[in-house]
Amino acid sequence: MSETVTVTIEMEQAWRYASGTAMERFSEGLKERRIEAVSCRLCGRAYLPPRPYCGKCNIRMSSWTPVKDEGELVAWTVMQLPMLDGRTGEMREAPYGMGLILLDGADTTLNHYLAESDPAKLAIGQRVRAVWCNERRGAMDDILHFEVIR
Amino acid sequence: MTQRPVFIAGCGQVGPVAEDPRSIVEMVLEAVEGALEDVGITHQDIDAIVTASVDILDGLTASNIAVTEVVGAVMKPEARIAADGMAAAIHGACQIWSGAYDTVLIVAHAKPSMAPYQDLMQWAMDPIYLQPLGVDFLTCAGLQAQALAAGDAGAEQRWAELASARRAGTPAAISADEILASPIVASPLRAEMCAPMEDGASAIVLSAVLGKHDGRPQVTGVGHDLAPHDLGDREPGIWRGLERACNRAYSVAGIDNPASAFDLAEPSCLFPHEEELFVAAAGIGNATVVSPGGGLFVGHTPVVAGLSRLAASASAMRQDAGCRRALAHGAWGPAGQGQAVMILEAGAP
Repeated sequence: MSETVTVTIEMEQAWRYASGTAMERFSEGLKERRIEAVSCRLCGRAYLPPRPYCGKCNIRMSSWTPVKDEGELVAWTVMQLPMLDGRTGEMREAPYGMGLILLDGADTTLNHYLAESDPAKLAIGQRVRAVWCNERRGAMDDILHFEVIR
Repeated sequence: MTQRPVFIAGCGQVGPVAEDPRSIVEMVLEAVEGALEDVGITHQDIDAIVTASVDILDGLTASNIAVTEVVGAVMKPEARIAADGMAAAIHGACQIWSGAYDTVLIVAHAKPSMAPYQDLMQWAMDPIYLQPLGVDFLTCAGLQAQALAAGDAGAEQRWAELASARRAGTPAAISADEILASPIVASPLRAEMCAPMEDGASAIVLSAVLGKHDGRPQVTGVGHDLAPHDLGDREPGIWRGLERACNRAYSVAGIDNPASAFDLAEPSCLFPHEEELFVAAAGIGNATVVSPGGGLFVGHTPVVAGLSRLAASASAMRQDAGCRRALAHGAWGPAGQGQAVMILEAGAP
């Protein structure tokens, strides 16, 4: 069997994404602890995260609905494997909880971390609320995580 | 032709523009709405969608997922092509010819202003032999151009004049002398010989049933071809892949003599030497008008280029009754590794 040759190539690369009008408004709201969903005037769905277009009705959306920063846990998991955090390049240590949260006033769920990482203490249908960071920059991690309201 | 017709029923275009401040989703949405409006239809009239995008440009894998909603592909059949939009158009035409669908929406997008294109394209090269050397698409173009210029003392002057002629009458107009005074980027290619890289999106509605009564152009032949990746495995002085792609298309369209067959050609050429390669490989004659609007020399969006050439061809045929047959071309990969063409024929007057 021939010897394996490993070629290592390292390259640093960044992409500059335009947020788009919908995400821009959402981001501005986060800075002020405000969450807004964008609503379809035909089907009435209030979308989170916001997007410019309703894929069900095929129309542009531009009306906004205030949404509470608390809601219901509709799915959850506790990750037991550390993950590479794309924002820092560092590993996020396990375990950590991840949830799909249906905020009061929205019709689609938001993905976010859960403060609770003990599976025995998590259940679908639990009420959860956002824990905000003190310093906010208009990004998803302005919310540290969601905690169970007990 | 005995197969069912495929009409270029409508087109929508965004850009090319140096840097579009909007998101990809917003750009694609405008192109798609433009195409639907051009035909006078809604998404309900679309049976299937074919998108073209390249993950490395968008910075995410499966780059079509970001545009699923705005191309109207939610709960519909969507195919995605990681190559030039012309390949996506051929895929869509074949879907219609197969009888699977009547109307297919083709969409291509790219936003190269998001990241340094030249660096990214290193990732598109062979990882063992070429990436460690930093070989990119521009290097390959320089190697090919030099092979053509060897023994051709007039090449540089001729290429400068060609690049100047393509931009004449456009906001990007520039003289041949100015082109020759611009810095060399990959000898013998100079900066102003290169098509400027810009952001854009394009959408086209292909249909067997829409467009016939509006005299829309019809697709009468298609062909595509993939040459070996390594330049050393190709003949440097000829686009043999394009020659094969054209011969396939000519055979389908029943064209025996391409030299006198076309009123218009819209090639996807990024450098003047590529246009010479195109003319030779396609076998078109002097009577064929090439890139009357300047082609990609006034603005080039990777991935979108071929679809934009198809739209430019269809638009010219709709505006000029004398333009009866056109050859639209897309290319991708290093030094034109991938090649695709479509032949359009004018609809009933």
